[in-house]
Amino acid sequence: MNAASTLLIAFPKGRLGDELVPLLAGTPLALDATALKSRVLRIPTATPGVAALLLKGADLPRYVAAGVASLGIVGSDTLDEMDMDLLELADLGFGACRLSLCALAGVTLEALRAKPHLRLATKFPKATEAWLTREGLTAELVPLSSSAELAPLLGLADAIVDLVQTGGTLKAHGLVETAVLGRSSARLVAARGAYLSEPGRLRPLAEMLVEAFRIKV
Amino acid sequence: MPVRTPHFPDLLFGSAARLRRWEGTLMDLFAAHGYRELHPSLVLREAVPDGALRFFDGDDLVALRWDFTMALAGLLTRTFSEPPDRVAYAGAVFRRPVQPWEAVERFEVGCERIQPHGESSAEADTELARLLMAIPGVLGLKSAILHLGNAALVRRPLEAEGLSGDLADAVVAALSRRAPHRVAQAMEGHPAAARMATHAEALLSELDGPGTLEALGASPYADLLKEERSHMDRALKGLLPILPPNLELRVDLADVAGLGFYTGPTLRLWAPGAQQELAAGGRYDRLFPDLGRPWQAAGFCVRLSRLLDLADTRPDLFEQPR
Repeated sequence: MNAASTLLIAFPKGRLGDELVPLLAGTPLALDATALKSRVLRIPTATPGVAALLLKGADLPRYVAAGVASLGIVGSDTLDEMDMDLLELADLGFGACRLSLCALAGVTLEALRAKPHLRLATKFPKATEAWLTREGLTAELVPLSSSAELAPLLGLADAIVDLVQTGGTLKAHGLVETAVLGRSSARLVAARGAYLSEPGRLRPLAEMLVEAFRIKV
Repeated sequence: MPVRTPHFPDLLFGSAARLRRWEGTLMDLFAAHGYRELHPSLVLREAVPDGALRFFDGDDLVALRWDFTMALAGLLTRTFSEPPDRVAYAGAVFRRPVQPWEAVERFEVGCERIQPHGESSAEADTELARLLMAIPGVLGLKSAILHLGNAALVRRPLEAEGLSGDLADAVVAALSRRAPHRVAQAMEGHPAAARMATHAEALLSELDGPGTLEALGASPYADLLKEERSHMDRALKGLLPILPPNLELRVDLADVAGLGFYTGPTLRLWAPGAQQELAAGGRYDRLFPDLGRPWQAAGFCVRLSRLLDLADTRPDLFEQPR
């Protein structure tokens, strides 16, 4: 099996990746444990001819849309923020979390609505704008790529729009959810071209992944 | 196929020669089947869409030809009282890319079959499918896949449920992503939610040979779509016996690309491993009536720019020229 014919699957690093790796254990796509401990980002799987790429969630859709990786797993929050032409074959059911408006404890949604100049820090500008439109509100968006919880504490913003899974990080920073904007979970995505031109190659692998997660999640 | 950004591609010797050769070969093929060439102007003055390359000619906003079918439709309705039955075209179109790696200037060759309204279209659809089936062979593609679809499989249920606007767009976008869970999400709370979700599952359950049509039996709209199913069945029965050895025929029930334009059968040509379709077309019976002419039409376009790209990056997919 040469490198060109190796089928690449893009897996996310970070929160979703931490949930994913144990779920893959014992499946034909289990990641090679030794390689996983190293710093390499291309990891062999238990299936010859199939390798995994470990990518940041925000980069992953681009690899799949361009056909570099044929399949991938990524959060629906990331997909919704990016307008990528790719296929979304299944909701895998794990990595479930809420996209929420969060503010310092004691600050209500009504208080935020009443602000003449509302500032919201987020790394989800598209979803935030859509929510503001639905609610008939306007706000200044403060784009952040990480640690959004600090923004209300330090006066950078009045509130944040961020993913909430258990609420532990919010609690640690004295924040509470004031509104739920949407929900997110892990999705199985595929490159349009690879899937439509070689369904015989990709479909069995996609179905196997869906089945593996259906049993374990 | 590696990602490149040839927004305004310059073709060097090999690609330029290949383009010239392929254009000639395809136009000869069309001519042999009675298709006569029309060459609409490169500069269009009417209905300049957002995605076109626009500029001012004096006080007039004009655009470079952005789509052959639309340019031909303008030319045909201006010039002819009775439609020519078969036309072919070759040249470049200019469109702002949707994907970052797409080119602005794209070379295309295509053909259109035009008939007076009310004439049976089945024969014309089969004629176009047969013509498209010949194309991988004349271009030297070692193998290819022809997807047969039908825009009415989605369009008619949407119309029957009275779905339009943003909600219909969300359903179509979800089907385009092949995401049945997104169809259910988009329809949540609507009286037709369960029916549309089941229909989406049926459309997306298979992507295979003629047996794929059986999946329509599981749709709540199976009766509504009887005619389309029977049309596809007849087309398959007509095409399978003459299928060239290196061409695979698949039924794609969930082909919704261009749903706002196509009204009936659709055709898409792929090569194994290609990231983009190499030719696409279908029936678009609303185009000419919208322009005031009682004509119906179908056609397809071969995307030579994508083929040139594929020949560069995946030469293993092509026979070596003798």
